[in-house]
Amino acid sequence: MKPALLAAAVILSTGAPGYAHRLDEYLQATTISLEKDLVKGQIRLTPGVAVFPKILAAIDVDANRIISAQEERAYAEAVLGDLSVAIDGNPLHPQLVSVKFPKLNEMREGLGEIQLEFQADLPHHGPNRRLTFENRHQSQIAAYLVNCLVPRDPDLRIVSQYRNYPQSFYQLDYMQTSVGSGAPLVAGFGAFVLLGAAAVLLFARFALSRRQRVPA
Amino acid sequence: MNDGLKRTGRGVRAIASICIICGIASAQTGTPGIVNAANAFLSTLDQKQRTGVVFAFDDEAQRARWSNLPTTMVRRAGVSMGALSGAQRSAAMTLVSSVLSQRGFEKVQQIMDADQLLKTNEKSSRMFGKDLYYLSILGTPSEKDLWMVQFGGHHLALNITIAGERGILTPSLTGAQPALYTVNGKIIRPLGEENDKAYALLNALDESKRKQAILNYRVADLVLGPGQDGKTIQPEGLKASAMNASQRTMLLDLISEWSGIVHESAAAARMAEIKKGIEDTWFAWSGPTAVTPGRNGTAYYRIQGPKLVIEYAPQPLGGDPSLHIHTIYRDPTNDYGRKIVAR
Repeated sequence: MKPALLAAAVILSTGAPGYAHRLDEYLQATTISLEKDLVKGQIRLTPGVAVFPKILAAIDVDANRIISAQEERAYAEAVLGDLSVAIDGNPLHPQLVSVKFPKLNEMREGLGEIQLEFQADLPHHGPNRRLTFENRHQSQIAAYLVNCLVPRDPDLRIVSQYRNYPQSFYQLDYMQTSVGSGAPLVAGFGAFVLLGAAAVLLFARFALSRRQRVPA
Repeated sequence: MNDGLKRTGRGVRAIASICIICGIASAQTGTPGIVNAANAFLSTLDQKQRTGVVFAFDDEAQRARWSNLPTTMVRRAGVSMGALSGAQRSAAMTLVSSVLSQRGFEKVQQIMDADQLLKTNEKSSRMFGKDLYYLSILGTPSEKDLWMVQFGGHHLALNITIAGERGILTPSLTGAQPALYTVNGKIIRPLGEENDKAYALLNALDESKRKQAILNYRVADLVLGPGQDGKTIQPEGLKASAMNASQRTMLLDLISEWSGIVHESAAAARMAEIKKGIEDTWFAWSGPTAVTPGRNGTAYYRIQGPKLVIEYAPQPLGGDPSLHIHTIYRDPTNDYGRKIVAR
């Protein structure tokens, strides 16, 4: 902008207020990362200014305006309780890995971000897998985001993703290429080994009994 | 004369000086010109100011100290424009202009002007205004060695790593509020092209392609905004390999709104890199497909390629989202020039 224009730059076409912070929504952004035997999640929760009192009441249960470590942990567990994570139709039980709370005044200004990390072990399965994630936490005021990171393991390949409109539900189909046909194969291989071992034992016993019958 | 008027007078003089110095700087392009501009700026500072401006190149905390939020909410380091004298401020803005293209610098000025207008609108709120943009240098200005220029404040974060003739602009954030204003009857839209070119591309797609590009869910904010360094999410939407040549050209033109912020020679190298991966670049859209001509829309979109992430996210923060835009520009393989640093 030229100096003369800048000096005169006082005419504004809009009188919109300059909100720099989140207002009436509770942003909950989840990032999922996959490993072969593990699913990890990070949730970043940012309460807007207008909904902060409601969130604070859920965190600061003794209403003393101080968020204790116990209250942080209890709230994080409550968030975790509002999640449903399943693999191949079987529910998982995610465990909290870390909990990080911002300063109270940052949250009050709509800036503070609560960060939770969780993870769950994945049982062995075949190559085609389906992970589902559902977040029901504060659904009346939530703005959900959920995304999966591109796996670092080249044996894991994301096939498709589906979300409902508010992103409270997420379904991820992926392939795990190094396991072959997975559990059935493992079971089949185990049975094969057992049968082989039984055959060897039977043969050894048969050979021993023949030897005992032969006259010296 | 009150403080405000003094500041305005100083500001006008500073801008006049910038224009003169920018004219001189533009004659000297590329890294030598940037190094000269950086040294010229540093030479205007006293020892205390210099200590506040210069950081070690490997200072990771400073590298990551940027945000879309006002500086009163998320503190920046370096020196604020408001703390500089007229001559120092001119030298600072000359340095900023030297690392950017003409259009890039114009965009930066419009973003800052919007924040100044926000300050006027908010009755001189201490959260906004052109004085609250910070400049810092990581490392030592050099034509050969790596160093970095950081400039930003509310709705602006430029992280420019200089590596010889290369200039790496990622990660960078541009935003605008108001995203539409008039100055002496002239309409200014700092991120107008980012909006208009995106809608033009969407409307150039046939029904089936548009259906692939449009996500069936709401995206409420940037996914890979500040603090999300080093993450690559699974791409979605329409792959550019399914577009025709004309649509791919439109996509590249849209991308150039970010890749072209940095000075011309660096932008050309970056665009060549992006072109190379264009077939594997995705375009995803969420939100309304109609827009009032001459205004920004309220839809979110994302462009994601092998070495590229761009997000454009209107902000529903208690006002009209079309007037409040955040965008992010990343290269997940080379943010802050990490690929070059690793070598």
